Amino acid sequence: MTDLIEKLEYFLADRGIYMLALILFAIGVYGMIVCSNYMKKIMCMNMMQVAIIFFFLTFGQKNGATIPVALGDIFSADAYINPVPHALMLTAIVVSLGITGVGLALLMRIKDIYGTIEEKEITGKGGKSK
Amino acid sequence: MIKLLEHLPVLVILFPLCATLLCPLISHFKPSFGKKVVMTGLFLSVVCAVTQLWQVVSTGEALHYYLGGWKPPFGIEFVIDGLNGIIVVLVAVISWITSLFSSPFEKLEREEGNFRSAGYYSMLSFLALGLLGMASTGDAFNLYVFMEITAISGYGLIAIGEEKGPIAAFRYLLTGTIGASMYLLGVGFLYAATGTLNMADLAAAMPELVDSPLIILSVGCLIVGFGIKMALFPLHGWQPAAHSYAHPAADPMIAGIMIKVPAYAMLRFFFCIFSESSAVMEVFFDAVGVMAVFGVLFGSLKALRYTTYNKILAYSSIGQVGYIAMGFAIGNFYGLIGAVLHIVSHAFMKSGLFYTSGALKYKFGIHETTELGQVYRDMPMTGMTMTVCALSMIGLPPFAGFFSKWYLAIGAIENGQYGFVVVLILSSLLSAIYFFRVMEKLFMDKKTASERTDTVQPKGKLELPWQLIVPMIVVVCAVILLGLFNSYIVGDVLEPTIREVVLA
Repeated sequence: MTDLIEKLEYFLADRGIYMLALILFAIGVYGMIVCSNYMKKIMCMNMMQVAIIFFFLTFGQKNGATIPVALGDIFSADAYINPVPHALMLTAIVVSLGITGVGLALLMRIKDIYGTIEEKEITGKGGKSK
Repeated sequence: MIKLLEHLPVLVILFPLCATLLCPLISHFKPSFGKKVVMTGLFLSVVCAVTQLWQVVSTGEALHYYLGGWKPPFGIEFVIDGLNGIIVVLVAVISWITSLFSSPFEKLEREEGNFRSAGYYSMLSFLALGLLGMASTGDAFNLYVFMEITAISGYGLIAIGEEKGPIAAFRYLLTGTIGASMYLLGVGFLYAATGTLNMADLAAAMPELVDSPLIILSVGCLIVGFGIKMALFPLHGWQPAAHSYAHPAADPMIAGIMIKVPAYAMLRFFFCIFSESSAVMEVFFDAVGVMAVFGVLFGSLKALRYTTYNKILAYSSIGQVGYIAMGFAIGNFYGLIGAVLHIVSHAFMKSGLFYTSGALKYKFGIHETTELGQVYRDMPMTGMTMTVCALSMIGLPPFAGFFSKWYLAIGAIENGQYGFVVVLILSSLLSAIYFFRVMEKLFMDKKTASERTDTVQPKGKLELPWQLIVPMIVVVCAVILLGLFNSYIVGDVLEPTIREVVLA
């Protein structure tokens, strides 16, 4: 029994953080499928994107390493964190911001046309004419 | 001049980018000038694309362009070889003729007072920019950025379309974002396993890692990501609404090439990066094959059920994307030739059909095939384009569509996968049914609408403004020439590239 707990502890310490990112991703996708309110769908979409950003940042992390700025007295590359995942995620954050913006703009149009952002009401109504 | 030639790969993308940024600014001061900027930008991009393809074919070597002078694996690299050279030319040409095609619509809607031409043209050239970038980049993360550029401008163009446009665009936004996120996740796994994002570097690192769980996960994520973007069968949910409700002027581009370039990117990933064969990859290819078969049959059967012209075309696209995926699943030389040819020929055929759909909406406001009776008498050019493209979609010999199916069939027979051949023939027959039904309405039906109101007739002798005629002529010529000169295209351009780059 203690053996099992030790193994579990090892696993959580080693991979637990990835599991959390995966759970966050799954919650996001699940929410996008299940929620019928479009605003909630956008929020779940953001959650999914944050999970991916989280995943990238996690594997870019290194124990005991410092920020990727050349310091005078450290010459080994092992002592620095790899900055590439962070740089990539900066781009991904900008992209997700853009997508959210477009999504909200579309929501405003939908609200204008249909008077609601509930999926059930929209599909039921088939849209009232302009 | 020599200096300029070195920069061709980036110039192809730079011209639409400049046009995108300049168009709103210039339109603010001189409204009619903005669209000319975009047309010029896209035309220059066509010139650069053709020149660079010529250069690649004549020297037989791939062009490498290092952005900012940073050598890979540290910097971003553009690689143009015979394969994506063709895709870049295809995208540039269709974007340019679509920008031509848009201008009568713009005039029409400006008179009604509900059209912001600057925004429309910006989005159009932004879409072109994203697709061109996706086709020419050699960097996995850069591909993600271009994919999102494509997607965002695509959402805009779908949303400003018909009344259900915003809903279609919103659903596409949700699904498309899942697709892009899956792609990003796949790239993340790849990066975690190899520590590089450059495609050539990834390919070099792959043989040692073929069976590692990270790579297997990454392949799965990439299939889902590209599958959503190219509307492969179980992941196609967004596609019919998005393609039928998009803005009629931009629809040829959205339906024609926006789902083809991800298919090309999938080919690049699966045959250039994961080129090592292993048991797991075989399973994935089989899965893609199953998806393709069901997609081909589903798309064709579903298209039979509709009478709305755009819906028929959209569902037939699901089937046609299935052919491309089938080429990947066959995976030998002929299968890949078939897939690439089908990317090119279907882009022309489908955009041609959507040009006719746009023209019908422009002239008579026709949406349903039941209203088509004898329309060819009023619009002979439109009728001809429709006939040529539809016959090519069915796969009759002199046209382009026949040859891609032919190569797919040869590849499938060579591999002993006779099931694919049966599906090919069956779906060709199905598409013959639904296209002949459209043509029967076009030629045989009584003129149902003699009271058909010609709201926007042009004053000249032509059936339509010349900007609507030119794209159709280009597409018809392309479909016929791709068919007639098929052996040259395959032998001189595709064969060396596919043998060298893809199957090396």
